[in-house]
Amino acid sequence: MKTNNVRAIPGPKAPHSRFVQFWKDYGWAYLFILAPVLLFLIFTLYPVVSAFLMSFQKYNVLHSKWIGFDNYAYMFTDNVFWKSIKNTVIFTVGTVPVNIAITFILAFFIFQMKQSWQTFFKASLYLPAVASGVTISLVWLAIFDPTASGLMNRVIGLFGLDPVLWLGQSNKALFSLMLMSYLGAHGSGIILYLAAMGGIPKSLYEAADIDHASGWTKFSKITWPLLKPTTLYLAVTGVITSFQVFISVYLMTQGGPNFATTTIAYLIYEAAFVFYDFGLASAQSFVLAGLIILVSVIQFKYFSSDIEY
Amino acid sequence: MSKQAKLTLLAIAAAVLMLWVVITIVPLYWMVIGSFQDSKASASFNPQMWPKVWSIAPYERFFTKTNALRWLFNSLFVSAVITVTNLFFATLAGYAFAKLKFPGRNSIFWVLLSTMMIPAQVTLIPLYVLVINVFNLADTYTAIILPSVVTVGNIFLMKQYMSTLPTSLIHAARIDACSEFGIFRKIILPMSKPGLAVLAIFTFVANWNDFFWPLLVTRSDSMRTIQVGLASFRFAESTDYGAIMAGATIGALPMIILFFALQRYFLQGITIGAVKG
Amino acid sequence: MARVEFRQVVKQYHDEKRGTFTAVAGSSFVIEDKEFVVFVGPSGCGKTTSLRMIAGLERQTSGDIIIGDRIVNHLHPKDRDIAMVFQDYALYPHMTVKENLSFGLRNLKRPKAEIEQKVANASAILGLTELLDRKPRELSGGQRQRVALGRAIVRDPQVFLFDEPLSNLDAKLRIQMRVELAELHKRLGATIVYVTHDQIEAMTLGERIVVMNQGHIQQIAPPQVLYNEPQNMFVAGFIGSPAMNFMDARIEGGKAHVEGASFTLGDAEVKALRSYEGKSVVLGIRPEHIYSDQFAEKMNVPKENAMQSNVQVIENLGAETLLYFRVGARMVTARVEPETEARLGQLMTFVFDRRRMHFFDPATEQRIVV
Repeated sequence: MKTNNVRAIPGPKAPHSRFVQFWKDYGWAYLFILAPVLLFLIFTLYPVVSAFLMSFQKYNVLHSKWIGFDNYAYMFTDNVFWKSIKNTVIFTVGTVPVNIAITFILAFFIFQMKQSWQTFFKASLYLPAVASGVTISLVWLAIFDPTASGLMNRVIGLFGLDPVLWLGQSNKALFSLMLMSYLGAHGSGIILYLAAMGGIPKSLYEAADIDHASGWTKFSKITWPLLKPTTLYLAVTGVITSFQVFISVYLMTQGGPNFATTTIAYLIYEAAFVFYDFGLASAQSFVLAGLIILVSVIQFKYFSSDIEY
Repeated sequence: MSKQAKLTLLAIAAAVLMLWVVITIVPLYWMVIGSFQDSKASASFNPQMWPKVWSIAPYERFFTKTNALRWLFNSLFVSAVITVTNLFFATLAGYAFAKLKFPGRNSIFWVLLSTMMIPAQVTLIPLYVLVINVFNLADTYTAIILPSVVTVGNIFLMKQYMSTLPTSLIHAARIDACSEFGIFRKIILPMSKPGLAVLAIFTFVANWNDFFWPLLVTRSDSMRTIQVGLASFRFAESTDYGAIMAGATIGALPMIILFFALQRYFLQGITIGAVKG
Repeated sequence: MARVEFRQVVKQYHDEKRGTFTAVAGSSFVIEDKEFVVFVGPSGCGKTTSLRMIAGLERQTSGDIIIGDRIVNHLHPKDRDIAMVFQDYALYPHMTVKENLSFGLRNLKRPKAEIEQKVANASAILGLTELLDRKPRELSGGQRQRVALGRAIVRDPQVFLFDEPLSNLDAKLRIQMRVELAELHKRLGATIVYVTHDQIEAMTLGERIVVMNQGHIQQIAPPQVLYNEPQNMFVAGFIGSPAMNFMDARIEGGKAHVEGASFTLGDAEVKALRSYEGKSVVLGIRPEHIYSDQFAEKMNVPKENAMQSNVQVIENLGAETLLYFRVGARMVTARVEPETEARLGQLMTFVFDRRRMHFFDPATEQRIVV
């Protein structure tokens, strides 16, 4: 191999200092992500740290005072707090699995249909999702009207039952909110499931048919396992959302009757913006965050153990 | 499965689905139908399934008793601004995370992504203190808009979308002497129109429907967004169900119209950003 | 002057999981002005990485890259005076053909007249003039490829870089484009660096070929040299189709003993293999150098090195026939005349052309030079 000497100049080996070169190479990329990073620092990182510090203070608009773990101590002795945890857990456990099941069954049914019918069902079942939480809560407030003319009472009246005090009785109020969830918008979950079902290669089913697999076997050994990622996603997001249930409580029951529908999120709202005890509210919000993370991690472990990609 | 079993399944499916469509639509139907029937303010809400007498009195009451038009304008303005800022910043960041190589790319992205796990309740209280007390922005559009200028969800969406674009195009453009921002503007953006449309629609709807933060930062009636305004109306006129339904209909109508007009983008958009694992 | 030189260029990647991965180990070579050099090798051998480093799309970990008379290590691709044709053409889908062609020049703010003229010129050469107002999605695969070529030509670069440009075309079109590329090279008189995994493309197009494997350059030589004097077993087995046969041979008493036959060797070979006396080497011989009895006669091949074996598989390809038989545990291929009469299981005589045998050190896999 010949080794010619490089004759003319230019391009000393490293024309710029390392620092300048670094910015020449990567400056643009950092510029492109500057806005979100800045926003993250100011509107997420700072608040989280601040909230953490606040939880150890008696903090209201006028002054703040360090009180160590007093907020947390108060929380754990507060009956209403424990009730709110109980309500939130009941709500979550009662709605997330049921909603996933409903979503899955509906998606499964839609999947059997012709393309044009699929589009019709997808669209009509998604529609309520574009209505706001406020809208939905106001409508259901009317539907749950306790007199005989409320829609819900009219429906059960068809079955010969007497009107119910849906939101006014402490043993029924939470369930009513859950019912609202069951009958609500499943559209986006349905679309996710449909997309995932479409992604399962037909050849798997065909191979199963050749092996004389029954419908149930095909479902439990092919369909359900391959849909686990979607199910996990819906479960995790579903839990995160239902742990933060607020609007329906705020508009429909205000946490009552008798704290029956007080959820953690509502409790935090009250502590912060009704009683202006930011410190206590912050402490409560960290407990909420901890619960969410705990449950999410458990879900991941449980589901991920047999997900293969 | 056998032909007959398949047919039976289809029949059951069709029946259940139609029933569920009815269940899903009925609340909205009830809302609209109820808004066109005049309930005397003191009597209980007793609308017919199909009105014997149509009336727009509830709407009249809604618009005269409230600042509804101003509320609607506020929502429009705030949602539009937030949509525009997200379109720009989220796309830029999404592109950077998807296609540009730089030290810390993965770590920074994961940190940003992890913020989605933090419940709003943790950040909103200090955020409230920050915006209201420190920045002194109570009751302004800025206060409503600022925290949502660019959301991590949108960055994630655009990153997912853009990672499907061919990297060779970016290489070719570099060789073609195109600047980094030029590549973004002249090559990436024109190719991302579907993704941009989805982002715009979802962001606009989400912000139109947003409630908690605007509730916290608005004081005067004239600065409320439609959702916050409706909530205040519900508490102010708690027995005038007709007018409340009218208000709810007005609040939801723009989004419903948007949905029918741009259905395709809604349905597609859900899967673009969908987490596959 | 448009030569390209690598001086001990290394490219390494750092991965949390896999540690340090060496895509290109210390590479040094010179591509002369106006030369058509092809980089060939299996996936992951480092050829595309090397090409990208010439283009400036990747920065090397160490070593120098010289284009023309400049060290270009830190130069942006746009300043290196190169143009590239990509495997997937990388045409800007929302621009017309004309806009695709002129994009680079427009970014460089060249005068409008100059752009018009260069675009017209390139379009004429490649037959794109009628397509200038179309968008890429309206074009066929072959047409898109021409546009990609046109975009490179318009830049009038010192060096053209091709990244497997024919891989996405069907077989017939590929052969046609190969011919056109060769003609284009002559016409433009440009330096071309071409990457492919297809050794036939390499052999037909390259004036010199750089064979790479797992980041290392195996051999740089013109096609015929690679074919006749492969430096090691990898090159010997990679170049030529069907691939060279390898079998174990023991050197003893001036002969090479394989299972089923003992081959006499020429004086030069005996001398070269003296240090392997009593040991095993790898014998390599191409299928086209193993003859049937009649074919050997026809071709005047000395018949001293012959063996008898049963035919295991017959592949009749029309212009030639491939016969497979066993030597020890290995299956050996012989390429014979199509008229050869052979039946499965038939015991046939196979003549090995002694002059075309290669010997390789079994440990280093290097060819034992004779």
